[in-house]
Amino acid sequence: MMLNKALHAKRWSELPERGTPLMLWLICWIATHIGRWAARLLLYPIAFYFLLTAHEARRGSYDYLKRVLGRDADWRHVFKLIHCFAATILDRVYLLGGDFERFEVKVHQAEIFHRQVDSGQGCILLGSHLGSFEMLRALGVSQQRIPLRVLMDTEHNSSITRFLHALNPEIAATVIGSYRPDTLLEVKESVDEGFLIGALGDRPTGAGRTMRCEFLGAPATFPIGAIQLAAIIQCPIILFFGLYRGGNRYDIHFELLTDRVAPDRARRAQDIERWTRRYVERLEYHTRRAPYNWFNFYPFWD
Amino acid sequence: MERSLSPFELEVAGLIIETLNLDDVAAEQIEPEAPLFGEGLGLDSIDALELSLMISKRYGIQLRSDDPNNVEIFASLRALAQHIEQHRSQ
Repeated sequence: MMLNKALHAKRWSELPERGTPLMLWLICWIATHIGRWAARLLLYPIAFYFLLTAHEARRGSYDYLKRVLGRDADWRHVFKLIHCFAATILDRVYLLGGDFERFEVKVHQAEIFHRQVDSGQGCILLGSHLGSFEMLRALGVSQQRIPLRVLMDTEHNSSITRFLHALNPEIAATVIGSYRPDTLLEVKESVDEGFLIGALGDRPTGAGRTMRCEFLGAPATFPIGAIQLAAIIQCPIILFFGLYRGGNRYDIHFELLTDRVAPDRARRAQDIERWTRRYVERLEYHTRRAPYNWFNFYPFWD
Repeated sequence: MERSLSPFELEVAGLIIETLNLDDVAAEQIEPEAPLFGEGLGLDSIDALELSLMISKRYGIQLRSDDPNNVEIFASLRALAQHIEQHRSQ
């Protein structure tokens, strides 16, 4: 069952393989040489193309939309979802290029983030596929650069992510890819050096332990790896949501999940469950308020 | 292949079991040259981290992520025990 869902997620991440490198290159070129407005015009036909051809993504979306909207969805809702996704991908081109000024970003509870960066101590920044994780980079604009490394399942990396990282090899070099035996040791060393480690907590990867939690009214399986990691390293976990609000507007939300997961093994397992449940609660909270930011285009529930 | 465990290999096996709470495995049962990760003992990357930290603490070895030999070191109980024996400082 677990493997099934991970396979779904993997298959989704591979969907853009079909003919898309050219498309991505085209959007990218238009985005950087002509302008965002021109590239955004292209998003409509592109979203239509995926609406018509990505059958599994469509099915997964109908299911999700019904749960979050509380009523049956039609193709227009799915189109809006796909279009929103495409818009945030386009914007990642600018974020990875350090071009943040063009966005109107409202940051909620920024002090949680700044306090952590100023402390010089690392933490886990736990996000999801709700909205744009890449929006984190927009915060680097006032400081020199935020000490950020992203933990990424590079084996299941979508061609989109590979393509975008090719745009900015400097950022690509900060990615911590999995899964050598010493990968998480690298994470711990980075945290000790004061890095914030970005990780996504809503998609199981096949390996790694998981937990079932209620999400939008039905049980779904979530990975617990990032929180386990924080438990072993004994660092804080800060939640991050970068939500797209249309146009050039984004809302960033920071929330402190916990300063420390219980260190002693006896309480640790329970604590990990508790914080995973809390993460899922907060994910649901933000999903309901930004339903078209849900970019898990596959059957999410068990 | 020498299937029985040396005393030190037994000790390291015991440490693995204790650190990772592997209740249903006995130290003597661990095959010295079987994989630790994925198949074999079936440990994952979280286990690898916990183990690395415990080994550092217990034997005074600094296990670093940029060591090119890490895959070999963690390939089996035997390889791990060998590495610890060569580099331990306590």
